[in-house]
Amino acid sequence: MTGGLFGDYDRGGFFDEAIGEDGAAREGQENLVSWFDALTADDLRYHSTLRDDLLLSRGITFTVYGESQGIERTWPMDLFPRVIASDEWAVLEQGLAQRVNALNRFLEDLYVGEQAILEDGVVPRWLVMSSAGFEREAFNVAVPNGARCLVSGIDIVRGGDGQFIVLEDNLRNPSGVSYVLENRATMARVLTGAFDEMAIRSVDHYGRSLVAALKHAAPPAAGDDPVVCVLTPGIYNSAYFEHAFLARQMGVELVEGRDLVVDDHVVAMRTTGGLRKVDVIYRRIDDHFLDPAVFDTGSTLGVPGLMAAVRAGTVTVSNAVGNGVADDKAVYPYVPAMIEYYLGEEAILPNATTYVLWDEDQRAAALDRADELVWKPVAESGGYGIVIGPSATDEELAGIRTTVEADPRGWIAQEVVQLSRVPSCVDGGLEGRHVDLRPFILTGESIEVLPGGLTRVAMRKGSLIVNSSQGGGSKDTWVLDDEPTGATG
Amino acid sequence: MRLDISNRTLYRFDDVVRESQNEVRTCPTSDSRQHLIAYRLSLAPSCRALAFYDYWGTRVDAFGIREPHISMEIVAEAAVETSEAEPRPAPSPWDGLDEPGFRELHLEYLERTPHADWGDRVAEAGMEARVGDDLVATVVGVHDLVRERMKYETGSTHIGINVDKVLSDGHGVCQDFAHLSVSICRSLEIPARYVSGYLFTASDDTGDDVDGDVVDVETHAWFEAAIPGQGWMAMDPTNGHAVGPRHVKIGHGRDYDDVPPLRGSVSGEAGTEVETSVEIRRMDPSHQATVVQPPLTHADMEHQMFQSQQQQQ
Repeated sequence: MTGGLFGDYDRGGFFDEAIGEDGAAREGQENLVSWFDALTADDLRYHSTLRDDLLLSRGITFTVYGESQGIERTWPMDLFPRVIASDEWAVLEQGLAQRVNALNRFLEDLYVGEQAILEDGVVPRWLVMSSAGFEREAFNVAVPNGARCLVSGIDIVRGGDGQFIVLEDNLRNPSGVSYVLENRATMARVLTGAFDEMAIRSVDHYGRSLVAALKHAAPPAAGDDPVVCVLTPGIYNSAYFEHAFLARQMGVELVEGRDLVVDDHVVAMRTTGGLRKVDVIYRRIDDHFLDPAVFDTGSTLGVPGLMAAVRAGTVTVSNAVGNGVADDKAVYPYVPAMIEYYLGEEAILPNATTYVLWDEDQRAAALDRADELVWKPVAESGGYGIVIGPSATDEELAGIRTTVEADPRGWIAQEVVQLSRVPSCVDGGLEGRHVDLRPFILTGESIEVLPGGLTRVAMRKGSLIVNSSQGGGSKDTWVLDDEPTGATG
Repeated sequence: MRLDISNRTLYRFDDVVRESQNEVRTCPTSDSRQHLIAYRLSLAPSCRALAFYDYWGTRVDAFGIREPHISMEIVAEAAVETSEAEPRPAPSPWDGLDEPGFRELHLEYLERTPHADWGDRVAEAGMEARVGDDLVATVVGVHDLVRERMKYETGSTHIGINVDKVLSDGHGVCQDFAHLSVSICRSLEIPARYVSGYLFTASDDTGDDVDGDVVDVETHAWFEAAIPGQGWMAMDPTNGHAVGPRHVKIGHGRDYDDVPPLRGSVSGEAGTEVETSVEIRRMDPSHQATVVQPPLTHADMEHQMFQSQQQQQ
């Protein structure tokens, strides 16, 4: 490094994804670091402006709920990428595939199997029975190939020692993959020079992989070329941009509930050319809104009669109904045991240290250290409801005590992980900011992990909250290829 | 006793309905006390139903009508052979509730649900109903207490009323009696479930037998409580009669919402008028011998379900 942008870069005592303990760029990132180091503050501003214009003109936005105005925002992407070495990725990839495999097996066991894992007492029966995500309406409903978690998003963090840790599983409607692809496309235009001589694994095949996995999950009677569609709740949903994006990437129809009809337990979509039979629905609507004849009868988002069609086996709904029981945060502590139980293997990726609060001793011990732990409601996602002990006010901590005592099953507590950092563009310079990683995993003919994933970054100094819904940003994620080809993604 | 049931529901809409999607749970179950001889569902406008067994073991027929219609008729006919009431379980000590696995296996029947969400009033009634150390006598006590405190009054309540209010109002219909009993049992940590079915009676209120062999009734409800090591004990708090040959069970669940006779969704905003009638006919005993078949086994039921699913593909 020279006296450029990295001149007074401070690792701050954290694990830094780009700069090693010796202050030099990590292996494989030398060119990237020196490219950035050579930039001036003006260069950085120029690239930032270019990036914003590109994102804006492409309409890449996201929505934040709970704000009275300006809820549609341009997607924040930091210019400095997060890089993962190929050997590190190999371990992550294996660990993620292993985890998703076990989670699929767990759901099969619960919904169409013998519930053997409950019989054998590996996962407590009561925990499953009391899970809001255990959907009895999905009981005995088969899923082709058992591909229940067709798309999984598993949140990974890296602690001070550089160890990858699983923070939570998202097995219902994980979102964010469109930003992975858009980030790459944007980076390729903004930072052409930084890609030079770096072999980065491509992500742009995701749409093809997703549609292949969905077709693989079609009912056998669907034939050689199943019809797939994306079911969205509509333009007011925060992830509508992604729903439209994925439909476009896959070359399939984007539909709303009112575009689908069920006749004689067969689903068809209204098209300009009349009704067309649908074989696989990639739904981005929550379970309880899917079918007003079965769930919330007031829902206008869903498709009346859909559940009976799924049960009849004429159509596949992905992800499967009822996956919420497996990403219930109170069930999460048992995932390593599931891996051992179903696969006979030790979990490659460990869980974060987690306290189950329905256990009196653990609850008492955790509440004693309320200000040191992270508190999460078990059924939420997207960072909603989380309380970070060290930065919580006394009032918030008192609130946690009351809520947890009233509903111990409804919360978990985790040790704070000192998230790793990545150099990030702040005020014309580079400063370390905390990141996590959400890789996307597809269960198709085999389990496929998209190289990289969505790196989310807490842009506020010192903050550990990376969710875009909570003001976080993102980074392009580069998985290095062992065999440099010079190709860019 | 051989009972033939014809359950007819007629929906009249005040505007044309383009689509309706429905589930019916009107098929009697087969268990240790009764067995289903035949079941047939007729739908108008005609359409195919998908038959399956739900999580609670109840047969469900799901169907959709996708043509403009102004009425919808559902006729569920069943023939059932019932037997005498099962003997009352032997006295059962309270600590049986703590036997390993018992609580865990019955967890779903111990929790609050929307129609069995009790408060202090119901819990107090539970303390009052408790009879010493005997679970069986306590369940009878719950039944007796509900009978003592509640007056049968048709049309006086609707599904959705809170059980504490049911108790303080002191009147209701069979669903209220059942939900209240279930709630009191659960407040004592005795697993209890809601049962949906039919009763061959001149009056739900008295439970009296019928003069003659044909009667028009409504669907009925009662409850069952789990006794460690002895299975489920059925009680009918609405009329105090033993759950015997004149009771025909459709299914059970945590509360009404798990076994509604009919649920679904109708497109548009048409107003609806519903007409239901249940006719039960007691068949000539000499007729029984020729029609009784061996009880359905679980495997038979799965096979039936499989076939009905296959037909839809």
